[in-house]
Amino acid sequence: MTTDTKQLIRQLTENADPVRPLRRPSTRAAAWLVFSVAYIVLVLLIMPLQHDISQKLHDKLFIIEQIATLATGLAAAIAAFASIIPGYGRRWIMLPLLPLMTWLATLGPGCVRELNRYGFEHLPLQHNLWCFPFIVLLGAIPAIGMAVMLRCGAPLTPQLTAALGGLAAAGLANAGVRIIHPEDVSVMLLVWHVGSVMALSALAGSIGRYVLDWRSILKFDA
Amino acid sequence: MRQSPDNCFAELMRAAQAGDALAYARLLEQITPRIRQIVRGQRRFLRAEDIEDLVQDILLSVHTVRATYDPQRPFMPWLVAICRNRFADGARRYARSAAHEIHVENMAVTFVANPANNTMDNYGDVDELKEAIATLPAMQRDAIRMLKLGEMSLKEAAVARNMTIGALKVATHRAMTALRKMLAKER
Repeated sequence: MTTDTKQLIRQLTENADPVRPLRRPSTRAAAWLVFSVAYIVLVLLIMPLQHDISQKLHDKLFIIEQIATLATGLAAAIAAFASIIPGYGRRWIMLPLLPLMTWLATLGPGCVRELNRYGFEHLPLQHNLWCFPFIVLLGAIPAIGMAVMLRCGAPLTPQLTAALGGLAAAGLANAGVRIIHPEDVSVMLLVWHVGSVMALSALAGSIGRYVLDWRSILKFDA
Repeated sequence: MRQSPDNCFAELMRAAQAGDALAYARLLEQITPRIRQIVRGQRRFLRAEDIEDLVQDILLSVHTVRATYDPQRPFMPWLVAICRNRFADGARRYARSAAHEIHVENMAVTFVANPANNTMDNYGDVDELKEAIATLPAMQRDAIRMLKLGEMSLKEAAVARNMTIGALKVATHRAMTALRKMLAKER
């Protein structure tokens, strides 16, 4: 062992405060979900509802869609937290695929129906443009919480981890927006809601390298 | 029964996470040859000092993310994953910096003109300078002697001459202007 390495080990040992091992990804995701849902519920309570939600509670497709959206958010959060643990199986990254497919599938029958009714050129894509800012508003605090929690781990795959974190926050925010959203047209939901969630996830992925970077987390106080 | 190295590392890491500095030192000392072996295996073309740099980088990474080690899981896959990631990160960084660098050969000459190829300034006439300084008013002369010849700081010179720093700066500026004029005239 060279002198420099020996010296480094001595300095690292002198600065080794006790650390609490990170909890399992599923436990951390659950904690994040509780915090995020509490924030979203708080914002929704402050905002006036734009339509009667009680009617929607009898709509099976709406319930499945909401469960799938929440599951996508939760699965993406678990995958994001798993991706910052060295040696954790890479298959966890695929976890959000199933709920995401289910979410898309809930929009499928409506899309086909509207396509048959209006034709491709006259599809109803006019939209209340507030839905994107609402997803951003509801997703901002969960996204910040996610970023803080992700920085406690190892930035092994910064872009992918950030994209999964973004998907978790935006997916959860979308579930909140659907409660106050007045419109219910499947093609529009596919384009604006799924599109917004994917765009925010891609945006998070593109800045992942700057938020989750080895150089920014390496600690050496010697 | 003898413990496997992985179990031994896991136990040491558990103790290290709890704040046992001795166990942590033992762990780092024991994994360092392993890390060096992994680095040598993956990066055969590196020089010895570059290998040591990489080993130290990995040790620092292990130290920073030691909270991500789950005591219920094996230790070596955790360590190897960090090593592999640091290799990939280092390679990416190298590729990024190489893409923005242009290698230029050292040029012996900058321009053909002589003034561009001087390696040092020529000294002027020292006696002439001394005479010029002697003709300056007392305050300016002292300022030049203390700040330029004696290399005192502004604060030290101000205390020595019982002047404010501002006044000293003004005196130095005036002295330099006067000296420039005198020496230019004499040439």
